[in-house]
Amino acid sequence: MKLLANKFFFLIMIVLFTSCEKVIDVSLNDTAKKYVIEGNITNEAGDCKIKITQSKDFSENNDFSGVSGAKVTVSDNGGAAIVLTETSQGMYESTTIKGITGHTYRLNVTINRTEFTSSSTMPVPVNLDSLYIKDEVFFGNSVKLASIAYSDPVTIGNAYHFILYKNKDKESTVFVTNDDFTNGNKVTNDLWFADDNDDDSKKLKQGDTVKVVMECVDMPIYNYWYSIDAASGSSNNATPANPVSNVTGGALGYFSAHTVQTKSTMVR
Amino acid sequence: MNKLILLVVILFMGLYSLAQQKFTIGGTLKSKRTGETIIGGSVRSNNAGTVSNDYGFYSLTLPQGTHTLEISSVGLQTQTMKIELNKNTTINVLLDDAAKELEEVVVSATPRGRSLKSTQMGVEQISTKEIKNIPMLFGERDVMKAIQLLPGIKSAGEGNSGFFVRGGAADQNLILLDEAPVYNASHLLGFFSTFNSDAIKDVTVYKGGMPAQYGGRLSSVLDIKMNDGNNQNYNVSGGIGLISSKLNIEGPIQKDKSSFLISARRTYADMFLKLSSDPSIKNNALYFYDLNAKLNYQLSSKDRLYLSGYFGADKLGVGDLFSLKWGNGTGTLRLNHIFNNKLFSNTSLIFSNYNYQIDIRNGADEITLFSQIRDWNIKEELQWYLNDKHSIRIGVNAISHTMHPGDITASQFSSFNSLDFQRRYSWENAAYVSDVWKATDKLNLSYGLRLTAFSILGAGDFYNVNSAGKVTDTLHYNSGEVVKTYFNLEPRLAASYVLNTSSSIKASYVRNVQNLHLISNSTTSNPTDKWIASTNIIKPEISDQVSLGYYKNLAGSKYELTVEVYYKTMQNQIDYRDGANTFVNGAIEAELLFGKGQAYGIEWLLKKKEGKLTGWLSYTLSKTERKINGINSNQWYNARQDRPNDIAIVAMYQLNKKWSLSGNWIFFTGDAVSFPSGKYTVGGEVYFYYTERNGYRMPNYHRLDLGATVQLKNKKRWSSELSFSLYNAYGRENAYTIQFRQNKDDPSKTEAVQTALFKFIPSISYNFKFK
Repeated sequence: MKLLANKFFFLIMIVLFTSCEKVIDVSLNDTAKKYVIEGNITNEAGDCKIKITQSKDFSENNDFSGVSGAKVTVSDNGGAAIVLTETSQGMYESTTIKGITGHTYRLNVTINRTEFTSSSTMPVPVNLDSLYIKDEVFFGNSVKLASIAYSDPVTIGNAYHFILYKNKDKESTVFVTNDDFTNGNKVTNDLWFADDNDDDSKKLKQGDTVKVVMECVDMPIYNYWYSIDAASGSSNNATPANPVSNVTGGALGYFSAHTVQTKSTMVR
Repeated sequence: MNKLILLVVILFMGLYSLAQQKFTIGGTLKSKRTGETIIGGSVRSNNAGTVSNDYGFYSLTLPQGTHTLEISSVGLQTQTMKIELNKNTTINVLLDDAAKELEEVVVSATPRGRSLKSTQMGVEQISTKEIKNIPMLFGERDVMKAIQLLPGIKSAGEGNSGFFVRGGAADQNLILLDEAPVYNASHLLGFFSTFNSDAIKDVTVYKGGMPAQYGGRLSSVLDIKMNDGNNQNYNVSGGIGLISSKLNIEGPIQKDKSSFLISARRTYADMFLKLSSDPSIKNNALYFYDLNAKLNYQLSSKDRLYLSGYFGADKLGVGDLFSLKWGNGTGTLRLNHIFNNKLFSNTSLIFSNYNYQIDIRNGADEITLFSQIRDWNIKEELQWYLNDKHSIRIGVNAISHTMHPGDITASQFSSFNSLDFQRRYSWENAAYVSDVWKATDKLNLSYGLRLTAFSILGAGDFYNVNSAGKVTDTLHYNSGEVVKTYFNLEPRLAASYVLNTSSSIKASYVRNVQNLHLISNSTTSNPTDKWIASTNIIKPEISDQVSLGYYKNLAGSKYELTVEVYYKTMQNQIDYRDGANTFVNGAIEAELLFGKGQAYGIEWLLKKKEGKLTGWLSYTLSKTERKINGINSNQWYNARQDRPNDIAIVAMYQLNKKWSLSGNWIFFTGDAVSFPSGKYTVGGEVYFYYTERNGYRMPNYHRLDLGATVQLKNKKRWSSELSFSLYNAYGRENAYTIQFRQNKDDPSKTEAVQTALFKFIPSISYNFKFK
């Protein structure tokens, strides 16, 4: 909630003080490449995917090619490790693993004799009750917002990660929340996002299809998404830092066992 | 530490030296025109001299015989009087305004501490006249921005009223308004300070060598004193500016004896919103206001009562959706009592409050978040002008702090639960004693000790946290139970040695302790920044500072040169863990990391005090670093406010009787910042990879501001003037933020984007006065 307040505040300051923006040259140091692991297991079959890429220097292009030849295994609640197969460059998958609530999954990745490990526990699924579009007026501009509703369970410790799509485009804003202040309630959540430079292409318009994916995540993954959002360097003046990862061994990224549910609607 | 105590005891024992027959003159210095007491006025007879205290009281002990007293204060006519001293005498002095021509040439004040003999160093003062002349953003005169032009005091950012002193953080400045601490001294995200310059009498900043009566913050003391109000005539003055309007009313309640002052300021950006026909714009709120009021009443020739108050608030609202209100309130009740010509007492009862409230409405869902810090504070101080060699201060102070970190109130069907975060209670007690000893004609010493006891009180839960930031144990305390008391002894030592009639050297050592900490991850002042008290885990911050200075008057005191060097260490400094969330109802300690810091530097100030052209040139070369386990691979890193070079040139020129011109130019090295050293992809988005804390720098900052003031009318009953200013006169695009992002048109590229805020900001304001 305070984060929301800060976001409002920052938006207002931008509206108030017409600022001028320009692209500048900053000389940034190059650094040794780091492995980046994006691991996901969901409660749907065939959705166990581990993607391995590498970091790049800032000046290079944004084409992040996959890392081949890694040995990737996942075990289910202490069971035998299942080896994932590389389906495309840097993408490792298993069609047999389907996540089950309460089970802890262990990830083991070995690349060139360097080992990275992680674990994640799949939480209880919480139903995404509704998705609807609402209008808000913000400094004279009408803004359409995707709003979602769900009923948070009575037990504490639920956390949620939402992904918003406008037609085929994924919104880059990280939507993450937990039940610290909403435990046991019917929660409605407006998926606010800042449209940099009044970029019209991001605005929701009549005829757009809006899709929201709701992921119920565990607390370490909540912390990962929270910290990647709070400290990514895009927020106002806060000291940027790397997100808090649940992968050990010095890799970037995360390993998340979560439930998924999707809803779509049309903007009218 | 024990040796220090012994040293202080021995020094005090030396106080009782017998000498020839001496008598004491005491009294109060006031301005004849306004009846305002004079702070720091000088009373001298040949080599012996003293300065008046914060309430205009002075005491001077002289040998029996004939003396010529010279009484002077900046901007006022010097008075001389011949006296035959054969008994203790009370002499109250009224000083007349300086002749008009004189006032125009002597613009700048010499800080009291800067006098060659005084042991006080690391002190800066700025006169209200200087504040009036320095061009400012939107033409809004601002004490806190004016002091940033002095060496060792750095701006917290573009157009920002926040400041950093000698490498300290923004929360390490003790900001006092008539003795009351002000917790958030800024309006509108820091672009304006809470101090309405019309209501201010005196501004003093201590960067080092703080006297023992001040304590509670590591880096500096900004001591602001409000006007008392004119006890001779009624005055109405005011100003109309681009951003705000001000009105100031003062006058006698009983002539010569008592007076009142009311000063108000309000911005009106929101008035323009009201003009809009669009209801969605009309319903937005955006304003701040300040109200200062003061009463002073002379109870008897020996007793004087002062009541002063400040109330200020900001409101920011977006229709019914969202509103944020925050503000400070302070109140000070003081009683001066003059026991005799040597002994002066002041008793203060001080109240101080800061709160903010956020209201969010989303359909039927209404949530309010309220947070508050409230102090009650009682102080007693005796100033004892023992003899011609010693003047002693003894004081005690007790502050009760109550903090509400966050009270959430939610409507019935809200997504949010109503919840009150744990209140925090603490007692901050201090006792101090200090002596200023004129050891010889050339050597002056001042030495003092401040003992502080900070007690953390229940009720509440306190925690034990392991190195990974996990809570290992929760300890419950009942109401009134003492969780922990931190005792600290703070020595304050200073010496000055006069080399010759125009120069002196000084040295000082001070220890400061801070038990209230601002938890903020942002460099801009945010109304929702959180103050927390020390706990069983959050230890008191401690700083030790040594400094050395050289002071020289040049060209017959037309110019003044000051050079000071300092080295400061800081213990128990606080920073965030990566990914910390500080809005938690529980162990905030789990989100924090602790370490140490150091700062050092050299400061030059060359000031021209007389003539048509006055002003100064200030240059600071400095370094400030932190070392906190868990940050920057446990290595030393630059503090965000580390800015090696900082230059300010301030010039004021009196063109003729009507026009005065002014300009200032500022240059500083860019702040130390964390920029990415690489990038990677997660979830199809590009994120940046950081390898070191504050390893990069923002671009260098520089800016020129110009100002001009024209006197329109200057009649006996009525005067008015018009002020113009141009902020950032050559339109330099100074980086406010630098962000890294994917290029919108070509997503295969990443780019660095600089945002600059203010370019060529002109302003005009009109000021008037009825007398």
